[in-house]
Amino acid sequence: MWESFGFEFINFYFIPGLVLGCIYALGAIGITLTFGILRFANFSHGEIMMTSSYLTWEFIMIFTSLGILAHPLIGAIPASICAILLALFVDRFFYKPFRNAPTIMIVIASFGMMLIIRSMVQVIWGPNQLTFVKGIAKPNAYIRDLTASFDFMLLIPNKHFSILIGTVLIMLLFNYLLSSTKIGKGMRAVSDNPDLAKVSGIDVENIIKATWIVGGFCAAAAGVFLAMDTQFIESTMGFRMLLPMFAAAILGGIGRPFGAVAGGLIIGLAEELSAYPWLGDGPVISPGYKSGVAFSIMVLMLIIKPSGLFKGKVF
Amino acid sequence: MIKKLIMSVLILFGFSTVTNADVKIGNPMARTGPIPELVKPMSAAVDLAVEHVNDQGGLFSDGQKYIAVKVDSACDPVAAVDAVTKLVNIEVVTGIVGPVCSGATIAQAESVSIPAGVVTLSVSASSPAISEMESNTDLVFRTAASDAYQGIALAELAMSKGLKEIAVSYANDDYNAAIAGVFTKAFTSMGGKITGNEAHEPNKASYRSEVNTLGAGSNNLALFAYYGSSGITIMRNAMETGAFENFIGADGMLAQEVIDQLGAENLGNVTFTTSASDSSTDAFKSWKKHADAANVPASDPFVPNSYDAAFLMALAIEKAGSADRSKIAAALREVANGPGEKIFPGEWKKAKEIIASGGSIDYVGAAGPQDFDKNGDVAGLFSKNTVVDGKWKSVVIK
Repeated sequence: MWESFGFEFINFYFIPGLVLGCIYALGAIGITLTFGILRFANFSHGEIMMTSSYLTWEFIMIFTSLGILAHPLIGAIPASICAILLALFVDRFFYKPFRNAPTIMIVIASFGMMLIIRSMVQVIWGPNQLTFVKGIAKPNAYIRDLTASFDFMLLIPNKHFSILIGTVLIMLLFNYLLSSTKIGKGMRAVSDNPDLAKVSGIDVENIIKATWIVGGFCAAAAGVFLAMDTQFIESTMGFRMLLPMFAAAILGGIGRPFGAVAGGLIIGLAEELSAYPWLGDGPVISPGYKSGVAFSIMVLMLIIKPSGLFKGKVF
Repeated sequence: MIKKLIMSVLILFGFSTVTNADVKIGNPMARTGPIPELVKPMSAAVDLAVEHVNDQGGLFSDGQKYIAVKVDSACDPVAAVDAVTKLVNIEVVTGIVGPVCSGATIAQAESVSIPAGVVTLSVSASSPAISEMESNTDLVFRTAASDAYQGIALAELAMSKGLKEIAVSYANDDYNAAIAGVFTKAFTSMGGKITGNEAHEPNKASYRSEVNTLGAGSNNLALFAYYGSSGITIMRNAMETGAFENFIGADGMLAQEVIDQLGAENLGNVTFTTSASDSSTDAFKSWKKHADAANVPASDPFVPNSYDAAFLMALAIEKAGSADRSKIAAALREVANGPGEKIFPGEWKKAKEIIASGGSIDYVGAAGPQDFDKNGDVAGLFSKNTVVDGKWKSVVIK
């Protein structure tokens, strides 16, 4: 069984799909939070992801020049702080003035921010790809040998291991924040009904700041994980992820962070698994069309159940 | 007051365009996008040609300045149409030197430059589709050879390496799909077997399902992609899972980035072809002398072609005797195809004197003779490139 089906399926389709799904999920959390609380589609979210991976690269370079050999996850700590500050800065000066304006204005403002941030990154670091981690990542030999002795050989490179574990940790932290802290309850309250939250004495501006902090942190994590997976960074990497992340947020239900996580995993797995030779030898759907698969799921969801899997908002 | 100010600024601008005795050409190139590293030296070669023209007397009898207006075509059809629309309508350029990518070249030619009657002289667009794209006009030229030849050269190379079976993966765009088609046909007719032939969508974060699907049939992969949008990721995914051992491909993959990112130690079985110049010709030696002096890498892919295009455009404008767009195509054929006195790269002054005295010239370029056939195409040579000591080493295929 394992030889004929499981080995190839798990190692070459399922695990890569899971890794991609984790990255989508982290990115979609920020999108769905801003959508739920501020009620607009934030197009600059992908650029925050991209900027934080460039910042991580920069911090790794700084550490290396100081003679410390730094793992990307160490460089990601100061980088995620910078990404949060960037998200707060953008909100204060570019989105706050539009708080009471029609939604379309703030959407366009976020579109403008997307282009501004991307151009600034191109000015600072240039349009070329930068190598994040050199070389190719071979599967972890220890896990391979251990699982092979149980006839259950798993081929997981270390980078995928870090991404999977990192995502789970961030999710647990996020779950705690949302369900057990005051700020998390406030976020849920504002997301449900901002006016009611305001009259009950919740400081909405503070909640918005908290939203950007959480969204910025998740975006930074998604950006760094993406860069760890592809091993290079370039200035449109965030934008390329934006559409699948929107699809994930819509699939899970707008304003539902755990829906976004589920949506991200479903979209990531659907993209990779659609190319598996389920029937006969050839791929079911040519891998060239795998983004089509993700978006078909999204469109079907919008038609059948516009509120998404987790009863999100319908605008 | 403000009205007056605006009026005076407008008048000033009006005058400046009227009295401006410069000749502008447009230079759209993929300065951002999937191949910026390849384009940088190409752009420097255009600058060098412009410098040669201006340093050696400029254009026409009154020494007008030759100016290349640089814009970014981003290797993207939409960006190229925008950029060239600006060049044609706002900068009012006499001709266009560029763009770089085939998709961008075709799109801007069809929707902007051909309708406007402006000559496009692409520096590296090599899709076979460009040969046949015009009907009743003669406005699209290129100084790089068509992939109709490169695809065959690559198939011969695969055969000579003993690869009898191969899987093909190509990015779904004008350039890569076209060269993959030529390769597949040539390889099959030589007796090879294509085990799988799949398009892939560029700009995805992962291609693991693609490489595993294709890798089931063969250990050899013919990869047609731009390195920055999908090429490096596909090679990385293929090597990580051991799906493929041998890789061949064409110019879109030939960049130092590939070695820097994947590591030279992993690239022992990788060969890419590109358009090449015969470095033994006198024209190339003349080019190399100038290029070395200006610190431009003389033999890099499409760098000599870029110089030739910018220099030929200047010669055509000089021959036409004015910056009139409608005269450029005929003049371009005259100066490139001859017959006449041979002109090598850098010999602007000599060419200008001959044209002034009513003589004929025949430009022999850095990249080759640069004689346009009826489709505006030139013949070309190709080289195979392998990694030696952490760098691409190029050997011309004779």
